[in-house]
Amino acid sequence: MKPLIIFLSISVLLFLQSCSSEEKAPSIDVYEIRNIGILSTSEYTIGKVVKLDDNKEWYKFGDRKILISCKAKVKAGINLMELKDSSIHVNGSKITIELPPVQITVFEMDPSSVHTEMEDINGFRADFSQSDKNRILRLGEKSVREHLDETGIKKEAEKNAIAFVTDFYKQLGFEEIDVEPSKAELDEK
Amino acid sequence: MKNKFRLIKNIVILAILVFIAYLVYNFFVGDNKQDDWEIEDTPLRIETIKTIAEISTVSYRDEVIVDSVEFYKDINEQMVGNAVKLIDVDQWKYGIKSSNTKRRLTLIVKGEVRYGLNLTGNNYNLKQNKDTIWLTLPKPEILDVIVTPSSTEIFLEHGEWADYERKKLEKKASLQLRKNAEKLNLEKKTEENVCRLFENMIPGDKKIIFNFE
Repeated sequence: MKPLIIFLSISVLLFLQSCSSEEKAPSIDVYEIRNIGILSTSEYTIGKVVKLDDNKEWYKFGDRKILISCKAKVKAGINLMELKDSSIHVNGSKITIELPPVQITVFEMDPSSVHTEMEDINGFRADFSQSDKNRILRLGEKSVREHLDETGIKKEAEKNAIAFVTDFYKQLGFEEIDVEPSKAELDEK
Repeated sequence: MKNKFRLIKNIVILAILVFIAYLVYNFFVGDNKQDDWEIEDTPLRIETIKTIAEISTVSYRDEVIVDSVEFYKDINEQMVGNAVKLIDVDQWKYGIKSSNTKRRLTLIVKGEVRYGLNLTGNNYNLKQNKDTIWLTLPKPEILDVIVTPSSTEIFLEHGEWADYERKKLEKKASLQLRKNAEKLNLEKKTEENVCRLFENMIPGDKKIIFNFE
């Protein structure tokens, strides 16, 4: 008799649970507005195939492999807020400007350009969940960021920034315009 | 008394066996959630290169929550669905609660919206006389809505979800970020900052008149 009572109690509890209200997503209402002054002069679209072979643990029954292709839109340029009075020297119709260092100004990965190209799961391994895929994409993003210098985007951005600034001061009536890259960058080179 | 003791003993043994089975499953079959994955080193492929001239002067950072939830259609489907979850090692905890939620995906997306001017292709006009400069610039616009996987958190994933469903939520989050920024009418602030920036860049004491069109 007692096991029957226990069984019925558990059933009633489960049924009452089912009528409980839904779990709520957290609500956030925080935002930040900042004044910036960034001139982006070069935009690259960079593609990468993220390759993961999840078979490191010998004792797991089966392997998991995945290939995800993604694209990142990257912009580079200079921070015009770093352009101080001491960076601009005027001598009659001649102007000398020392540019701030070139930096990556925008890095974004559009979800619509992310595609799972191949998934191979065998044995008793679980499918890749969306959380797993997000973790893999984070690794892909980190890798793209780490190798950005190899693409030459900063060099291109610097060349374009010099062209833009030269053109702007030419329109202002300066006859001789000397735009120098950041001294910190020259020292690095 | 003796029977009661035997019942408790059997329940304890059963619980220990279930626990051991769970540990064995997790060790040999289950997939750990630690961040110890390493991706293979594949080369970057440059697809397009563009020369641009965009001046961003206002950055709006926000965090939005996007959620997709599917409920069981009736009580029968709910009971069967939850019973199935109970025997699925990855889903059993949702089955115990016997909730009417069939599956749910919640993302928390942190993003940045940048306002500024697109001056690509020398899209501005500059005229001057001996004491005034007239600078005609394009109207401020949203230049970028920046969202990345590292700023996207899968807060809750209950049930199975396809890639297109996650992408749909991510797009919704980007759109929400844009809408939130638009509500704040940041165009005026962008114009003010642009004026300050150019005044700082233009040497001399000529009066500068800005026009946005």
